[in-house]
Amino acid sequence: MNCEKCQELISDLVDGGLSRGDESTLSLHLEECLACADVRNDLQSIVAFCRNHRGEYSAPPNADALWLRICNVIEAETQLPARAALTRPPAKSFWSGWTSRSWELSMPQLAASAAAIVLVVSLGTTVGLRRWDNARGTGQVVSSPRSAAATQVRDRMWQQRQAINYWNQRVETNKARWNQGMRDTFERNLRVIDQAVNDSLNELNRDPHDEVSEEMLNAALNEKLALLREFSDL
Amino acid sequence: MTAAETETQPVTDYGLTQRAAQGDMGAFEELYQRHNRRVYSLCLRMMGNVSEAEDLAQEVFIQLFRKIGSFRGESAFTTWLHRLTVNQVLMHFRKRGVKMEQTTEDGETPIQIVKGTENPNAMPVVDRIALDKAISQLPPGYRTVFTLHDIEGHEHEEIARMLGCSVGTSKSQLHKARMKLRGLLRQQKTKE
Repeated sequence: MNCEKCQELISDLVDGGLSRGDESTLSLHLEECLACADVRNDLQSIVAFCRNHRGEYSAPPNADALWLRICNVIEAETQLPARAALTRPPAKSFWSGWTSRSWELSMPQLAASAAAIVLVVSLGTTVGLRRWDNARGTGQVVSSPRSAAATQVRDRMWQQRQAINYWNQRVETNKARWNQGMRDTFERNLRVIDQAVNDSLNELNRDPHDEVSEEMLNAALNEKLALLREFSDL
Repeated sequence: MTAAETETQPVTDYGLTQRAAQGDMGAFEELYQRHNRRVYSLCLRMMGNVSEAEDLAQEVFIQLFRKIGSFRGESAFTTWLHRLTVNQVLMHFRKRGVKMEQTTEDGETPIQIVKGTENPNAMPVVDRIALDKAISQLPPGYRTVFTLHDIEGHEHEEIARMLGCSVGTSKSQLHKARMKLRGLLRQQKTKE
């Protein structure tokens, strides 16, 4: 074995990942080659030091100031919806609006309302019966919480994708006005976000119940939405 | 268990996340006090820069607050937070356009020791300050793999999944990172 080959295998040796055959060939070389033996000793001491000091953490330079910064951002975020709600005129409750309304309907309006009610009821019955039949056929009467969660994720993704498509169309119409620099910035940002979306989707394909990947996917799609919104105004 | 004993039991991380999800900032602060060192240290090791590490740690805790309601306690909170932190750092790298798969940042070939040309002085005993300094000088791709494997104790399979690369790439980057670190530690010694 030469030094080049030996040094390629030293990390595996240090981690104990070599086959018995490779290990004995490497040991023979290390016995007679001081340079390679030095490399092995140095890597062993670096790895051992890291292992022995695992779990030792250094504090941020000013943990209290960092906490205050975090609090400020969170406070600003949580106050925004509250302020928006305060400036909005108080909404009438659904039932008070419903009951205080005067109900004077013409004959055609009455007929149309009756037809709509019949249509909704028959649709509801058909869908309900079909689902009941399917559930009976598969022996699964109530959907599991996991499949419900997966459906929720799919629904949310669908909604996000609808919104993304909308903003994407607006961006496309404005793109012609942009200069090259702006186009490059947009494409670069979009590539990064799409990469994050793909990574999270791959993770979710591998493990559909991975809650962190689910959140990362959600965050990446929201980020994409924010980017498209921002650039659609330019 | 008596009522007094129950009162003195520390609240679990999961209990704190549940309270924080309801908007209890006291519970969230307790989580911050328990885990800020862990989060900051990981950011620092992966970034190699104090101010960037602080900014990222801040971002991690803000993200944590936003997502805390989605923690269902199926894994340990520390594991969940660890993944959140690593993902945040990787996302930051991607935004900055840091290339994760590379030979070396400056295109140099990995350090190869040729018999007889080696520095005769033995490498100094590794110490925390020297090692941290050397880690911060590593190219980002090497630093990430070294931090995740040798410092945080992840397996190559996990690292490959996190970085979206092959196990072979993770192994090869780790080896190159160790060799580069060795060179940097030796350089530090000759400068002293």
